[in-house]
Amino acid sequence: MQKSTIRLLPINFFLVILLVSCGMNPVTKLEKVPVTKTTFEAPYFSDSKIDYVYKTHISVYGNNLSGIFVIKKIDENWHRVVFTTEFGNKLLDFEISETDFKINSIVEELNRKILINTLKEDFRLLLKKKFAIQNQFATVSEAIYESANGKYYDYLFVSKSGQKLQKITHSTKRKEKFSIHFQSENNIFAEHIAIEHQNIKLKIELNYLKNE
Amino acid sequence: MKIRSHILMLSLLFVSFTALAQEQKMSDTEITAFKQSVNTVSKKIKSLSTDFVQYKHMDFLAKDIETAGKMFFKEPNLLQWQYKKPYNYSIVFKNGKILINDEGKKSAMDVGSSKIFAKLNKLIVGSVSGDMFDDKEFAISYFKTKDFNVTKLIPKDAALKKYIKQIELSFDKQDATVNQVRLMESAEDYTKIVFKNKILNAKIDDSAFTN
Repeated sequence: MQKSTIRLLPINFFLVILLVSCGMNPVTKLEKVPVTKTTFEAPYFSDSKIDYVYKTHISVYGNNLSGIFVIKKIDENWHRVVFTTEFGNKLLDFEISETDFKINSIVEELNRKILINTLKEDFRLLLKKKFAIQNQFATVSEAIYESANGKYYDYLFVSKSGQKLQKITHSTKRKEKFSIHFQSENNIFAEHIAIEHQNIKLKIELNYLKNE
Repeated sequence: MKIRSHILMLSLLFVSFTALAQEQKMSDTEITAFKQSVNTVSKKIKSLSTDFVQYKHMDFLAKDIETAGKMFFKEPNLLQWQYKKPYNYSIVFKNGKILINDEGKKSAMDVGSSKIFAKLNKLIVGSVSGDMFDDKEFAISYFKTKDFNVTKLIPKDAALKKYIKQIELSFDKQDATVNQVRLMESAEDYTKIVFKNKILNAKIDDSAFTN
């Protein structure tokens, strides 16, 4: 018994190192630079005239789930978010603002507190418009803005060349929690979005669905 | 004078359009005749392939979400939906299993693992073949328009009713097969599927139903 515990120890230690190194705060090794702007406005999901429709693939602990996410800005502070199957059956329908959250409908299979809280946190960051900037960092190709968000920090990675928002990382001072990656042609609309979690095996991929 | 004739023409057009869309309740004899013709045709359906266009309507959206593809059905319960536009997604219902191919990502699940999925599956197969007149499962009402016979089905099962308030099947008056399905989630939100280029009883191999 003791032998096996000892044998497991190095493996556990290795796992801990691996987990920590994957999910480190992204600016740990970067130098601070002078702050060039006090607020940053995220360009995506801000036009109330657009139906943002995305084909979605979710992988969670090896299980796959697909469907369609529809996001619409319904007023200054609120977005409506609906997740349906490819056949159109509504699985989840909620409204979200920076401070509030309201579920319109949810199927029993998805009605789990942990899942709802995770989606709430993910979409609140995805749809957040204004970020107050306190610190700034830089790499060769990117400016990184730090914005305090409760007990967390959001890091906004903006390309120096095209001024495009490419990534937002939600992190504590030490550890990354999740990141949202954006690919956008015009910096108004993100064609591809990936939400990747570090502490749980969850990845949500959104691909813009051309609705013509 | 010219303007007046234009107005007249426009209003005539409008009147004829409303007449087209207008629904009338079927009489009891019409219902019996209609059910009989659908049953006769659906008994003869050994296979069916068709193009389809799906419109997802939600009241808060500016436009319906439009997807399209092909559908294949083979007696008694092989069914495949292939979405081709604007993405590739295929779902096969086969021997109690659901096989999914989502842009190359494959997965499978048992229909039996979810009661509601089994019910939805039966409903989908039924709406394609028209074999839906089950008074135990649905409260059914019958209507007619100029080109279509329309049945409206309200699920009796409480679990199913939570997801689907009403199903509307429009049958082509010419060939008594389903032309359009409308699955209503609420008064405002629905999925409409329109079938085009239907081919009945062409040979479809069982091996076509794979993913």
